[in-house]
Amino acid sequence: MLSLASLHILVAVADRERHGYAIMQDIAARTDGALRLGPATLYGSIKRLLNDGLIEELDERPDPENDDVRRRYYRMTPLGRKVAREETARLAKLVKQARATGLVPKTT
Amino acid sequence: MRRPDRIYRALLRLYPAEFRDDYGREMAQMVRDRATRESAPRLWLDVAADLARTAPKEHVHVLLNDFRYAVRMMRRAPGFTAAVVLTVALAIAANTAIFSVVNAVMLRPLPFLQPDRLMQVAEKNDRLNSPNYGASVLNFLSWREQQQAFEELAAFGNGTFTISGGGDPEQASGSRISPALMRVLGLAPVAGRAFTDDEERPGAAPVAMISEGLWRRRFGADRSIVGRAVILNGAATTVVGVAPSALNLLTGGDVFAPLVIDPPKEVRLNHVIAVAGRLKPGVSRQQAQSEMDAVAARLAATYPEMKDWGINLFTFFQTFVGPSLKTGLLVLLAAVGFVLLIACANIANLLLARAAARQKEIAVRTAMGASRSRLLRQMLAESLTLSIIGGVLGVAGALAAIPAINASLPPNLLPVSDIRVDGAVLAFALTLTMLTGVLFGIAPAWQAAGADVNDTLKQSGRGAGASMRGRLRNALAAAELALATVLLIGAGLLIQTLLNLQRAHLGFEPRGLITFQVAPPTSAYPLTTKAPLFYRALIESLQSIPGVRSAAVSSGIPFGNGNYTRSPMIATGPSALPPDTQVPIDWRIVSPGYFQTMNIPLLRGRTFTDSDATTSVIIVSQSTAKKFWGDADPIGRALHRPTLSQALVVVGVVGDVRHTSLNQEFPAFYFPMAFRAWPLMDIAVRADGSPEALLPSIRQKVHELDGGLAVANERTMEAWIANSAAQPRLNASLLGVFAAAALLIAAIGIYGVLAYSVNQRTREIGLRMALGAQPSGVLALVVREGMTVGIAGIGVGLAGGLALNRAVAALVYGVPPDDPVTFTGVAVVLAVVALAACTIPARRAARIDPMVALRDE
Repeated sequence: MLSLASLHILVAVADRERHGYAIMQDIAARTDGALRLGPATLYGSIKRLLNDGLIEELDERPDPENDDVRRRYYRMTPLGRKVAREETARLAKLVKQARATGLVPKTT
Repeated sequence: MRRPDRIYRALLRLYPAEFRDDYGREMAQMVRDRATRESAPRLWLDVAADLARTAPKEHVHVLLNDFRYAVRMMRRAPGFTAAVVLTVALAIAANTAIFSVVNAVMLRPLPFLQPDRLMQVAEKNDRLNSPNYGASVLNFLSWREQQQAFEELAAFGNGTFTISGGGDPEQASGSRISPALMRVLGLAPVAGRAFTDDEERPGAAPVAMISEGLWRRRFGADRSIVGRAVILNGAATTVVGVAPSALNLLTGGDVFAPLVIDPPKEVRLNHVIAVAGRLKPGVSRQQAQSEMDAVAARLAATYPEMKDWGINLFTFFQTFVGPSLKTGLLVLLAAVGFVLLIACANIANLLLARAAARQKEIAVRTAMGASRSRLLRQMLAESLTLSIIGGVLGVAGALAAIPAINASLPPNLLPVSDIRVDGAVLAFALTLTMLTGVLFGIAPAWQAAGADVNDTLKQSGRGAGASMRGRLRNALAAAELALATVLLIGAGLLIQTLLNLQRAHLGFEPRGLITFQVAPPTSAYPLTTKAPLFYRALIESLQSIPGVRSAAVSSGIPFGNGNYTRSPMIATGPSALPPDTQVPIDWRIVSPGYFQTMNIPLLRGRTFTDSDATTSVIIVSQSTAKKFWGDADPIGRALHRPTLSQALVVVGVVGDVRHTSLNQEFPAFYFPMAFRAWPLMDIAVRADGSPEALLPSIRQKVHELDGGLAVANERTMEAWIANSAAQPRLNASLLGVFAAAALLIAAIGIYGVLAYSVNQRTREIGLRMALGAQPSGVLALVVREGMTVGIAGIGVGLAGGLALNRAVAALVYGVPPDDPVTFTGVAVVLAVVALAACTIPARRAARIDPMVALRDE
């Protein structure tokens, strides 16, 4: 099972490759600032995602927004995509079950 | 912007190096990025929380990885792993078992309230060179009145009780104790009550307590025992309580009665009781000692007979753990530690050989960027994994072995009854396991991590590293042999000690003797009138049993648990000693046939007869006669006690007998039993055949005389003697086992080194043979190499044995601790074993086919 941080990272690199800081910013934006991954939480999760082959690292290159810093970029692998899909499907099913019991209001 | 960066870089040090190396730069960059957009408090709060959450996690990850890798490596070499784990398990099990005994005897606090505040208060006599003498009841009373240093003093002495009324009478050993004793020790009764202070007065209603052990064994822990009446020594006695088992540590037995104090009946020089006291809060042992010195000085001024007597304080630890027990345990602990060290050296050697085989793997990992510290940690993780598995097995083994140890230890050998694995033992085992893993892992790990990558990858690994590794392996093998030598010397000395003790000239013939005790109640059998007559009748009755050669009575047979009585004596009239010299002499009360029954030779004069009842006559042992009168004829001369002028005239001289310890004899003299008996007497019966077979008829004869008497402690003389040699036997057998294990491991060690060396040098040896070297020359070459290591190890071991022999000096008997025969013998044995271990690899070397060897490369 994926940790919450890992799933968020996968979502962040699902549509495009991003560097660490961009991943963090993306997650913060999507959660309205509720989830701000600390540096070691982020890179610890990235390390494990890399080890498990769910994301891959691209060559270092300069950041277009701040071109005196070289950044490592990450993108999702096909395996990562499969795992992320299964995980979100599992979560969706859980939400559906929670709605069926009336635990969560039935809004779309 | 620069400062936060520096701080964060410093904080990054809290992460494992790999993680920092991989992501440190990115993480720092991220903090810089965030610092431009976020407020400082918010950022640092985030960073601190992040750090606290992730730093430990990352470390655990690295560790788990290391151990996972270690387990994988172990799986790949199952034989090697099993050998190492088993060696560690055996060594840790032995160490844990021995330590559990040391812990129980020397480290665990005694089961009393604040045991370090408890003191034994003993009498001493410097002129008799006796630092620890029992106290007399009158002195106890004086101390109790005069001392201020102790909260309270309490006395206790041996007692023998016959329980009758209902079923066969039973003799129970027990003690008479001051009512204050339970308070002094801080003990509460398990059931009922303890004695009240009134109950030590003469005339108080008879009461008793029973031991917790008897209560559970005989009465099924039935609380209604309290208040029950029993017939104790012929008197109706109320059982008022059950004493906790801790009381038995101090004073043995199953029945406790109050120590009734009747001053007019007491003699100040009659040292019959032991005294314990609890120091008042804030009073040191030294303060108490100097106060008791003053008390002793006052008593000496008041009572002339107390002139040479003082008071000595001993801690309870000193009282419970005598020096020979302490030394014995420490020697065993050291010995078993040596075995562990030898095992470590051996495993280190195995790992070194394996490190050589893994050189390529390690070099590849280094080339791929593994740092030296990373490799070192990885190798240590492997050795720690091995030692932890071994340690867990070892502790399990110790847990399984300890009940067996408890059961096999002779009773009374140790002053504790429960040897178990507690927190301290577990902590010891854990520490030892970790130390073991580091100890056998550090040298190979250092070697492996330090190997030069280029060197190894380029050539086949016979560079500088290999030769250093060879030297290290030789040194380890030599160290194993040295440690084994020391152990073997110790074992040799202790085994000879045991043999010497078993061969010791006892002065009597133990074979064919059976002994038992009876204690006729003094109310029915007054000691000076009816009791001697009872024993005379008993002897006659016993001698009528077919198969009994003779029977006799003594107040304390050698090595038995009867009465040990010793008094200072002075020669009456001319003597080889300066006038009024006091000499402590053992004395016993014996029946006329005692010397004949025991086979103690009569050297001069005569033995006792039944008509010796009225005169004060004694028989002395040879060494007593020698001490007082030199070579002069002692018959007709006399001895007296310091306070009594009555002369005891010598009518005979008998051979010396070892009474209390196998390793020394003590001067003795004997009173005739017709003169008076003692409340508890030992009876010795010499049989023509097997002495045990006589027991039913012996019991029958006693009951014919008095159906209310119990026959107790029936045992052969040989069993008593075996019991007294229990500790030397235990020392010798354990050390023997450890030494044998050490010898075996060390032999395997030297074999391993040579076998590996021959294997590595196949090509060189092949070349030599191709160039004309004879197989015999090759054999000699390899043996010479092995024996150089062997001789060096044995030499160091002999020197170590000489340096350490003071430790065992207290345990050996009849053999000097630097006995040249033992040292030489051990050296020869080890040299032969080392030679045998060299021969196998040497013969393999001699059989090397030069063509095959050269083609292989």
